[in-house]
Amino acid sequence: MTTARRLGRRLAALAALAGGGMAAAAGPERAPSALDGHPVAQALVLLGCVFLLAAAVGLVRFPDVYTRLHAATKLVTLGGLGIFAGAAIAFYPMDGTPRVLLIAAFFFLTAPLSGYMIARSAYLRGLPWYQEDGSVDDWQALGSEAQASAQES
Amino acid sequence: MVIDIAIVSLAISGALATYRVLRGPTWGDRVTAFDYLTVNLAVMVVVVALRTGFTPLLDAALIISILGFLSTVALARYLLRGRVMR
Repeated sequence: MTTARRLGRRLAALAALAGGGMAAAAGPERAPSALDGHPVAQALVLLGCVFLLAAAVGLVRFPDVYTRLHAATKLVTLGGLGIFAGAAIAFYPMDGTPRVLLIAAFFFLTAPLSGYMIARSAYLRGLPWYQEDGSVDDWQALGSEAQASAQES
Repeated sequence: MVIDIAIVSLAISGALATYRVLRGPTWGDRVTAFDYLTVNLAVMVVVVALRTGFTPLLDAALIISILGFLSTVALARYLLRGRVMR
């Protein structure tokens, strides 16, 4: 059997497995999730997933480090807000709500901070950025000072 | 149904960010996409905890987010100065 034919057979088996999974998911004997019966929590989780997907698309499509950082830190903060708020609402009768709020608080403290650290080291190490006609580096006058202070501290 | 859509979209996001980690022209792109991947993993663990109702997974999500933040800060400081701390 050639490799291509074996790969095709495996792909067919995988597609059949996925179809079976879909059929089982649509069936009546599906295990209930904690999100059932909370329409507000469902809307929040979907909103968060939309923002996380938009962040990933921006991470692929944007042209340089700084625009990718813009996509991958701001949108992720908002998407995490949606998903953690939805999880806190859905877990409310159970014991998960305080832990979800703890994760959300930690996440809001650290997500902008890590983006700031990456942007700072990228700028001070002089990574190139996307330039058009009329692009100006406003920090160019401060560049040497900033590099000196970064070397000291 | 909603939660299946959520899991699938998070998986697609992780695949796109993995493309940026593998392809990224500079180290800044790789560190950015790696930070995004850790956040995506923590969120995905929270969503799986929602799906199964198994709340001890939330501890795992907290540990993952702490480790992701610490590794991102350590990588950024190392790439800026050549050492993590003095």
